[in-house]
Amino acid sequence: MIANLIVGGLAAGCLYAMVGIAIVIVLNITDIANFAQGEMAMVTTFFAYWLLDSVGLTWWEAVPIAIFFGLVQGIVIQQVVIRPLIGSPVLSAIIATLGLNIVLNSVAGLIWGHQTYTFPSPFAFSAPFMIGTVPISVDSVVNITAGLAIVIAMTCFLRFTWIGLGLRAASQNPTVARMMGVSISRSSAIAWGLGGLVGGISGILVAPSLFLDTNLMGALLIKAFAGGVLGGLHSLIGVFLGCLALGVAENLVGAYVSPAFGEAITFIIIIAVLVVRPEGVFGRVRVRKV
Amino acid sequence: MTVATDIARPRRSLSFGAGALLLGLCFAAACAAPFVLNGYGLYVLTLTGVFALVALGLNLLTGYAGQISLCHAAFFGVGAYATAILTQKAGVPYLLSILAGALFTAAVGAIVAVPAMRLRSLYLAIATLGFGVVLQKIIFEWRSLTNGGGGLALSPPAIAGYELGASGLYFLTLAFVMLGLWGAWNVSRGRTGRALLIVKESEIAAGALGIPAARFKVIAFAISAFYAAVGGGLFAYLVRYIHPENFSVGLSIAFLSMVVIGGLGTIGGSIVGAAFYVIIPELLRGIKDAPGLVFGLLLVIVMVLMPQGLWGLVRRLGRRT
Repeated sequence: MIANLIVGGLAAGCLYAMVGIAIVIVLNITDIANFAQGEMAMVTTFFAYWLLDSVGLTWWEAVPIAIFFGLVQGIVIQQVVIRPLIGSPVLSAIIATLGLNIVLNSVAGLIWGHQTYTFPSPFAFSAPFMIGTVPISVDSVVNITAGLAIVIAMTCFLRFTWIGLGLRAASQNPTVARMMGVSISRSSAIAWGLGGLVGGISGILVAPSLFLDTNLMGALLIKAFAGGVLGGLHSLIGVFLGCLALGVAENLVGAYVSPAFGEAITFIIIIAVLVVRPEGVFGRVRVRKV
Repeated sequence: MTVATDIARPRRSLSFGAGALLLGLCFAAACAAPFVLNGYGLYVLTLTGVFALVALGLNLLTGYAGQISLCHAAFFGVGAYATAILTQKAGVPYLLSILAGALFTAAVGAIVAVPAMRLRSLYLAIATLGFGVVLQKIIFEWRSLTNGGGGLALSPPAIAGYELGASGLYFLTLAFVMLGLWGAWNVSRGRTGRALLIVKESEIAAGALGIPAARFKVIAFAISAFYAAVGGGLFAYLVRYIHPENFSVGLSIAFLSMVVIGGLGTIGGSIVGAAFYVIIPELLRGIKDAPGLVFGLLLVIVMVLMPQGLWGLVRRLGRRT
């Protein structure tokens, strides 16, 4: 029973984690909490669906094209909306992404309507893995593997490549980074492109577990933020584990403590954790100069 | 984070005469409105006033003290329910129950502020969001008092035996908005306002100046919750049917948007932001299929062109005349 609950929680948690990672990439480099991340991913997923359904590509052809679309989408949005806001109050940019969230949702509604679609997955009909007597769906395994792979790839990219080092410099001290020849504007564009790319992957992996409609990501977005905060927003692995923990906690609280207050208790746990660790479990307290 | 330093500095660009004239004109227009508008228009305008009150309070918290809150919809809801329950079930006079509800909510706000003291930016946003979810859940589950998911239907409000109609409630809201403006003006320009500004800039600097950042954060949360609750008390009797779902996270995000669109750290901006958020979607309702699209685009355009908010535009126009 408890093992089933934990596995179910992990499955939900890795959906949050996929969105969470995309949010954190943008957040860490540009300081902007991207409320449009979910809708960007939703549009990318619909684009993939269109490639599969109307153009008639196979899953393995459509998905890379769609992910590339996600990358381009992120860069375009950064150039049009975010770039003029570099140097403005961060909250203004956040509210702009909120507007963008509404725009993308409406555009998707105009193009694809508000009915639900079933997004195919090449792993859908595989038999679940068995660990002891607990079945684990292949989708969950794929999602967790993909999430971990993204975390590792992003960490390596940010640590060991010139572009990644530039991005980190831009996030830590924009003024000094600029003096060292790092373009803040380009860093921001790369971050948004990466966010769009990872968001696209997350949408495509999440959609088969849910139904594809224009509100695909609505519920996941807030949970992803909450999980990210729990783990610590400045650590990719922290966000990943935080989201998984959130999924498991929700399931266990819902089953054992109180179904009615499940979500509320989960948030109380998050608040309690934050009181003890204000920057999340895996976060480091940033030393600020006066 | 260094970029946000120059937005809340009190600048006097309107001359006193021009400012007074503008305020007087707005007030005269607001007083004349019930005689010109139909019932629906009056409802929209009253709602604008209600949201403006919440935005005024939130702006003191976010614009001045620099603390993000995503639980203002819950404060708004607690105020609405407290007022409604006191009036309907305990028979307390309407004005008194608005006041009592607001004081109660201010206490709730102060409690929320305690764990919020150590948190900043997104961590604070998610923690307050959590409080919002918890408060909303309590309203939902405390069925004996709030009737839970059934919602509360309210009879028309009365003051001293005189039943308030639509225009009566409108004038009451207008009076509260004027009071709220006066209060916010005084808070922002007085000792508290200056303390909040320095808390926003740097808590360490505030401490070095002998300003207890923690205490002022609690004060800011309490004042802000008070404003939200007064708005809630008016809202309950404006719509006359309240339901826990009215007070969800989406509304909190809308309140925050109003403040930012209007202008962080500006008093007038709160009113302009609330008007933008309430009136524009109503005007767009006629456009087939795309009210969300146009509203979202407007939101993006306003932010990209006027990152300091609409109030900057108003101020610039005022300076030119």
